[in-house]
Amino acid sequence: MRESIIMKIHYGSALAAVGLVAVHILMRLTQGYAESLEYANVIRNYHFLPYAGMLEIILILLSIHGFIGLRVILLELKQGRIYEKVISYSCFIAMIGLITYGTRTIIMVNMG
Amino acid sequence: MTNNSENKKGIGGMIDPRRYGIERIAYLLMRLSGLGLLVYFIAHIYETSKILQGQFGWNEMIASTQTTHGHIILAIIIGMCVFHTVNGIRVMLGHGGVGVGTPTRPDYPYSPASQNIKHKIGIYSAIILAAIAMMYGLAVMFGELK
Repeated sequence: MRESIIMKIHYGSALAAVGLVAVHILMRLTQGYAESLEYANVIRNYHFLPYAGMLEIILILLSIHGFIGLRVILLELKQGRIYEKVISYSCFIAMIGLITYGTRTIIMVNMG
Repeated sequence: MTNNSENKKGIGGMIDPRRYGIERIAYLLMRLSGLGLLVYFIAHIYETSKILQGQFGWNEMIASTQTTHGHIILAIIIGMCVFHTVNGIRVMLGHGGVGVGTPTRPDYPYSPASQNIKHKIGIYSAIILAAIAMMYGLAVMFGELK
């Protein structure tokens, strides 16, 4: 994939995530920080399908943004054909792993 | 082929913020905050998965984070998040050609048009907003604000 396209995905995912993360944080503040973290309240959040869907979108966007960012930092440190391939594939695999693990939590709690 | 390995300072060169002004410090802070936020994000995904262990597992996890150390770490995360967001928007605008000036003939003293007051204000704003958000976060976590 061209670097320009990777950077567009990097910036696009960041902009989209900013708005959604703001909603996620506001949910913690609208009902009091400590109360919002109570078990029953968190379970209720996960069972509310639009909110669970938003968490899944945030998970995907931040995983993409985070691991593209890590890739950029590691490629600034050192260059080389094999090194760049190892870094790119490692970041991609780590991103898929994190999305899978987070999605598992969301689905299992949502399904009850 | 000439050997230019002496020019490769590696991680030491990357994290050295001296000599190039606030832009270089913003570059370093952007990478440090990005790495910190990625570590926090992975930890957050792991800690929220504790809800699968039921109420006991969740309460145990929450209790381990609701300490003075936990609040201070979270305040640092809030600061990194706000700085990374505001400075990231500045960087994106700069990459899009916003606020970097117009190309001109390079005349002495060769001041780069892209490193102008608009972007410096952007960097200082990011730092100030991060500090305000950290203080607000600490006030909420320590129960000063509801």
